[in-house]
Amino acid sequence: MIKTRIQKSCFIIFLPLFLTITFALLSSSYAADIGNCLLCHKYPGISRVDEEGRMRLFYVNEPIYNNSVHAKVKCEGCHTDIKEIPHKPAKKVDCLVECHIVEPSTEKKFSHKDVEGFIQSSVHGKVDKDGNEKKYAEDYPGCKDCHDNPLFRPLSFFKRVRPGISEQSLSRCKVCHKKEEFVYQFYNHVTTRLHKSRNPLNIAEMCGRCHDDPALVARHELSTKAVISYGETFHGKAASFLDERIPDCLDCHVNKGDSVHQMLGHKDPASSIHKDNKGKICATIDCHPSASPKFATYGVHAEFNLTQSPAQYFFTFFFIVLTGGTLLPLMGVIFLDLLRRFFPHATIGRRK
Amino acid sequence: MEKYPMIKIKDGKKYFYRFSLNQRIQHIILAVTVVLLVLTGMPLKFHDASWAPYLYALFGGIKYAPVVHKVNGAILMLLFFYHIFYLIYVIRKYHIEPLKKKGELGKWDAVKTVLTQKMVPNLKDALDIRDLMKYLFFLTNKRPDGDEMTWKEKFDYWAPFWGMVIIGFSGLILWNKELFTHIVPGGVLNFLIIAHSDEALLAGLFLFIWHWYNVHFSISVFPMGTVFLTGYLSEELMVEEHYQYYVKIMKKAGLEHEILPPHGAHEHEAHEGGASS
Repeated sequence: MIKTRIQKSCFIIFLPLFLTITFALLSSSYAADIGNCLLCHKYPGISRVDEEGRMRLFYVNEPIYNNSVHAKVKCEGCHTDIKEIPHKPAKKVDCLVECHIVEPSTEKKFSHKDVEGFIQSSVHGKVDKDGNEKKYAEDYPGCKDCHDNPLFRPLSFFKRVRPGISEQSLSRCKVCHKKEEFVYQFYNHVTTRLHKSRNPLNIAEMCGRCHDDPALVARHELSTKAVISYGETFHGKAASFLDERIPDCLDCHVNKGDSVHQMLGHKDPASSIHKDNKGKICATIDCHPSASPKFATYGVHAEFNLTQSPAQYFFTFFFIVLTGGTLLPLMGVIFLDLLRRFFPHATIGRRK
Repeated sequence: MEKYPMIKIKDGKKYFYRFSLNQRIQHIILAVTVVLLVLTGMPLKFHDASWAPYLYALFGGIKYAPVVHKVNGAILMLLFFYHIFYLIYVIRKYHIEPLKKKGELGKWDAVKTVLTQKMVPNLKDALDIRDLMKYLFFLTNKRPDGDEMTWKEKFDYWAPFWGMVIIGFSGLILWNKELFTHIVPGGVLNFLIIAHSDEALLAGLFLFIWHWYNVHFSISVFPMGTVFLTGYLSEELMVEEHYQYYVKIMKKAGLEHEILPPHGAHEHEAHEGGASS
């Protein structure tokens, strides 16, 4: 009886305390909603059917958004055509606009414009080296084809690194950067760029949206459905079991030290996967340090396909025939044996 | 080998010697490691299947299941090498040396001794398969009279033997791929992966369909044959599967008058009460 009374009074005392702390924590997250957009966009059901008949959801999850890399950007920073509330259908966001923040080292307005240069000179650029538009230019990716919503997640893991903010390294920032908000914002911003926020399976699935599309693969005369064939390697299989330590597409297809936006085709002599450079990919310190350059002649994208990999096709075919040729007759014997046991003495021949 | 009497009598029933303790232990190690290898290997082969992550998780998922797989693979490889030495030892001690002592070991006798070992397939196996087909297709009412080791047992022995060579060595190389590719190009690994996983599927299906039918699910032995534990086979099964050898052993033991009739529809079966259980 006394115990329950104590429990009750504890509950009464601690509930307001708990609520205060919760609200304090919530309000300490960094809302950039100066334009009060969340007035409407906070409602999970906010949506409409667009002109093409697709259902569009306009809900913005505030806690997720506030933890994303763009948390400090006002909505109007990217949705530049919206000047009033309520607004007309907004244009697609152009990620290359000069934006929101003054970059502290140059004191110029920040922009992602440099990425455009990287992309244009990479295998994913819409124009070739002579400046002519490539065939099927519309197939080549824009920013948002890869940087989709799942990227707006809190700081997470990197290969072999524990997820979350490291209190230990944060404590080092705090020595000079007294303002908690500043530390949080810059630490988060910098480390988010250093970490991968997607696991290898997510990355592979993202690339597979184009590279496993049979029509696109045929149109661009690519030799493989890249993610499907990657999926048949040990790396791909480990990725499907959510291993975070194994290499995904980006680990091999980008030169160490380059941005993923600078990915090059295998025929380009500067490419990491060019036949002269391939040997170095596998033998990095994190992967197979003792491997010889020969190791990299392993066919990562070999398919069960007569035209792409004839030797492997026939080798696999041999095992299929061997398996069928062994098991089917034996299963036939089992079936007949079971049948024979119903009539152990019957025969159409001469009785012995 | 003398420590195992050919016929043991327990509760008035005869049991016939099949496997020594050493062989039975080898079989149990083989069985346990193979089952664990299949359970930790197949989820990787069929990684897209709905059951794969759950089965894999039972062995610690992608972090630990490969370790379980490698440990079991290593044990199985050791067993394989042990078995090879065991074979050489047994053939030398019990077959070649007695000939040597008698001074009868000619130029080809050693080869002949190896080729006439009871596990080596011979013409009788081919004839037995033909006769079994005749029986299964109702062309005759007489089952073939099996010798000490029938074609089924030889198949059950040589299939894993071939499997262990293919799967074992490809697995060993894939495990040490960095070292191996200092000698051969990495493209060889593509073929080794195919050989390792496709041969493993064949071996797994062979064991769990064919071998388990013969030793677990067949009406003669259901739910489980016990010879792999006791080393001795009951008289009924001896008559059913190894009649030729059974008659030989009974005569050797001086028990001619107690020989049961063969399994199947024989004229004298009716008044003898039948041999099948």
